[in-house]
Amino acid sequence: MKQFKNMTYPYILWISIMIVVPMFMILMYAFTKHGNDVATFWFTFENFTRFFSDIIFINVLKQSLYIAIITTILCILLGYPAAYIIANAKEKNKVFLILLITFPTWINMLVRTYAWMGILQDNGILNNILSLFGLQTKLLHTDFAVILGMVYNFIPFMILQIHTSLTKMDKSLLEAASDLGADKLQCFLKVTFPLSLPGVISGITLVFLPAMSSFFIPKLLGGGQYVLIGNVIESQFLTAGNWNFGSAISLIMAIIIMISMYITKKIEIRNSTGKGKILH
Amino acid sequence: MKQSKKIGSKIYMAIMIIFFYLPIIYTIIFSFNSSRSLTKFGGFSLQWYQKMFHDSTMMQSIFYTIVIALLATLVSTIAGTITAIGLSKSNRILKGIVEQINDLPIMNPEIVTGIGLLMFFSALGVKKGFMTLLLAHIMFCIPYVILSVTPKLRSLDPNLADAALDLGATPWQALVKVIVPQIMPGIVSGALIAFTMSFDDFIISYFVTGNGVNNISILVYTMSKRINPSINALSSIIIVIITVVLLLVNIIPILKQKKEKTKYEA
Amino acid sequence: MKKLIQFKNIVKDFDGQLVLKGINLDIYENEFVTLLGPSGCGKTTLLRILGGFLNQTEGQVIFDNTEISHVPPYKREINTVFQKYALFPHMNVYDNIAFGLKIKKEPKDIIEQKVQRMLKLVNLEDYAKRNVTELSGGQQQRIAIARALVNEPMVLLLDEPLGALDLKLRKEMQHELKKIQQEVGITFIYVTHDQEEALTMSDKIVVMKDGEIQQIGSPTDIYNEPINEFVAKFIGESNIIDGVMLDDYRVMFEDKIFDCVDFGFDKNEKIDVVIRPEDLDIVPRKDGKLKGIVRSVLFKGVHYETIIETKVGTSITVQMKVSDEKPVINTEANEKMSANDFYLDVSDIEELTEATIVARADAQAWNPDTEEWISIQKISYDIKPENGTYPVTFSTAAGTSVTVNMIVKDENRVINKEYQEKIFAVNFFKTADEIKESIALETDLKTWANASAWSLDEDTPVEITSIHYDFDPENITVGTYNVTFATEGHEYMVDTTDKYEVGDEVGLMFQPQDIHIMKKG
Repeated sequence: MKQFKNMTYPYILWISIMIVVPMFMILMYAFTKHGNDVATFWFTFENFTRFFSDIIFINVLKQSLYIAIITTILCILLGYPAAYIIANAKEKNKVFLILLITFPTWINMLVRTYAWMGILQDNGILNNILSLFGLQTKLLHTDFAVILGMVYNFIPFMILQIHTSLTKMDKSLLEAASDLGADKLQCFLKVTFPLSLPGVISGITLVFLPAMSSFFIPKLLGGGQYVLIGNVIESQFLTAGNWNFGSAISLIMAIIIMISMYITKKIEIRNSTGKGKILH
Repeated sequence: MKQSKKIGSKIYMAIMIIFFYLPIIYTIIFSFNSSRSLTKFGGFSLQWYQKMFHDSTMMQSIFYTIVIALLATLVSTIAGTITAIGLSKSNRILKGIVEQINDLPIMNPEIVTGIGLLMFFSALGVKKGFMTLLLAHIMFCIPYVILSVTPKLRSLDPNLADAALDLGATPWQALVKVIVPQIMPGIVSGALIAFTMSFDDFIISYFVTGNGVNNISILVYTMSKRINPSINALSSIIIVIITVVLLLVNIIPILKQKKEKTKYEA
Repeated sequence: MKKLIQFKNIVKDFDGQLVLKGINLDIYENEFVTLLGPSGCGKTTLLRILGGFLNQTEGQVIFDNTEISHVPPYKREINTVFQKYALFPHMNVYDNIAFGLKIKKEPKDIIEQKVQRMLKLVNLEDYAKRNVTELSGGQQQRIAIARALVNEPMVLLLDEPLGALDLKLRKEMQHELKKIQQEVGITFIYVTHDQEEALTMSDKIVVMKDGEIQQIGSPTDIYNEPINEFVAKFIGESNIIDGVMLDDYRVMFEDKIFDCVDFGFDKNEKIDVVIRPEDLDIVPRKDGKLKGIVRSVLFKGVHYETIIETKVGTSITVQMKVSDEKPVINTEANEKMSANDFYLDVSDIEELTEATIVARADAQAWNPDTEEWISIQKISYDIKPENGTYPVTFSTAAGTSVTVNMIVKDENRVINKEYQEKIFAVNFFKTADEIKESIALETDLKTWANASAWSLDEDTPVEITSIHYDFDPENITVGTYNVTFATEGHEYMVDTTDKYEVGDEVGLMFQPQDIHIMKKG
């Protein structure tokens, strides 16, 4: 059956061209600027210094981080109880609930986000409901709308990840814990929650990453003036036409995302080893 | 105490479900709105559907979306399955490297993949349009197919293929008669993921297409600047298509099972 | 009989790891050959090389007078019954069995006939349309055999085929397999790690270890004349004793000279003596060739497995000083606290940690009302690595404190030259209550006395198997008591039908032909 390994080679060629080369082009563009001739390039850090010396870009970066972090935290806070409820539901309900949560994710994100534009409008459904309590306020084109759009789009990933780690958990561990005298809350805090952390971590990855780089949610729900780092990259490529600068910004964004992921993973590892120490 | 907790859970889940489905229901209802308003329902009408069917750019975008999704699914399912089988027989180092690169399009922000492809295509001097869109979709679909086929291959009893060879099957016969039927569920779900990924894609498509070749997502994005209730009609159609696809995928195996059971009992 | 398969110097190397180290083996027509060995010995690798699923690094496989190393598995006249059967789950019983015939494009009616015949052979005539996943382990097993045999191979390979079955079914299948082999009259090569399976079914057993063949022979040869310690231990239970061959037919072990039936060894050659448990008899002490004490008795269904110790292991006796010291009471903080003096060896001081001190002094503080433990906050001590008495003070946050002595003394070990063992233990202090409250007294005694034993040549720990004390833990009073710790001595396993009591003093009897002599190493 060894001969089957030859079946990998076409794909290796394909990914080299379609994945590796474009990634290298981003790197190359980020560190170069155009010479007078189209074929000449100069190595430079100019694209990066330009980004970090301009207060406008720094503020965009801060705003993007702020939105992404708030979104991630909200997804954990709102998603964890949902995942927990589903994991503890009856087998039949469980399948149904998971289906209910997954189904919307199969439908085009843009379509769903577009719908929120109508719902959040000044005289839209939500404001109509709020006005019953005399609370009518501007919803569309605010931070609230952008965060709502992001939580809406990304929370299913968080719920599913946490749910998987909760259901994968060996139920006898909980029985063991209560056998050893832990009450329900202690069972949750000392056994269930630590063991579901890997799910939370991969949930964070799946939420933070698209939240950080999204550009159509801020455009649709934040309005034309609302700018996050994804919008800057978009405009550099499609309107300003400065590919070198755009590549540099996307590289900065990718690095920030990688660092955040690294820190999250580190925290998790520290937590689990710290717990190990107490046991010894 | 327990009862109140249960009711609490139920209320929480109900609010969650309403949150998830509010936009979908809103879209469907307002696609039948007789007025132009996105906020007040003026009465039932099919005018936005009529408008949509007469709008050639909309119809074209639906056509492109479906054609691209079908082609990308077909190619990526075949290529992904072949690669996954090859990888399962490859040595660990090669496997590790390919899997790492394979993860890039999934783990990278889509915008990064999008601009990378944009620069790559223009460096090659390829005209942006149908071809670039299709290539990009195949590129980001294959990893999902590989990811859904690989676990099935891994859980396969390694002796199954050997058993086929032992009984006189050539490696090719073993592949077709034993391995592929065994990993079929993985291939089908890979194809399904590929189809919806392609069907729903916006970000990557947005960067790599051009010359008027738009898919539904791009159309919604560009049209969203003005109020246009036809978008709701278009959205409703998408919702219906996806629902039908998902129902078919979920129901066909159940029906098949039932059929087999009745056959068996008879 | 004709030679069917020849392995010639087969070497297999997996990424630098030698799994087979030059296997030479001939297999004849119609033989039931078992490759027997512990997991990792290379038996499955050898089978997979024969099946064509692996290529050897060196050497030749000759099948029916032709070299087949480069023949792919699907062209070999060999079929395999795989571990866990490897039935195709997407096909029913009939299609599984017909698979090989369909591949060969045999006519439909012939396939039908052959499959039916096979189903009859394995007693599953009515199961043709069943889904294989619905079958029990034993039924799947039979289908796997039928699927292989329907192709009329010259050799059937079986890779631990009974491993997944329960004991009763395994026994049934052993007989069934033997019956099938005799009926179809082809060579079976059977891989297992179960010595009993090998002994019941085989014509020839090949015992393997670490990629090498240890012994080839009939089941009786291998059982009665194991070639070395490994084979003796692997095939059945056995007592293996160090001995010296004084002359032909004369062997010395346990410092006594015995007659035996073995010859051809060098004079005074060091050898291993093997005596099977069923060849030993327990007799009155005065009649025994060896004398000992019954150490344990286990009921094994048909017989008792009795362990007789003929010679004690390395032992050390220490004193346990029982006092009636009362805990310190701190009424102000409502705390009680206790600790005891303890002995230490000079060599312990280097690695002395606070945790060790707390454990050895058994320092504890508690609230007398709630019985809740209170943590010891501070430990102050000063110690030098030489003999002497050093005070150590434990205190709690509330200020309750206890001072005890650490006594360093370096005369606490016994060295046993014969066994190359060293045992260590120290005297210790306890209160009567602590002994009464112990829930695992022997383990606590070991901890309190800090008892441990090592092998001198390898510096590895040796288990302390016997702990002997001369007090009644339920009714202990103040005083000094002896506690003896010992390692395992010379023990013999004897199968008896009579039940003996632990502690009985008995004799052991055996005949010259019960003694089997093996070369060392």
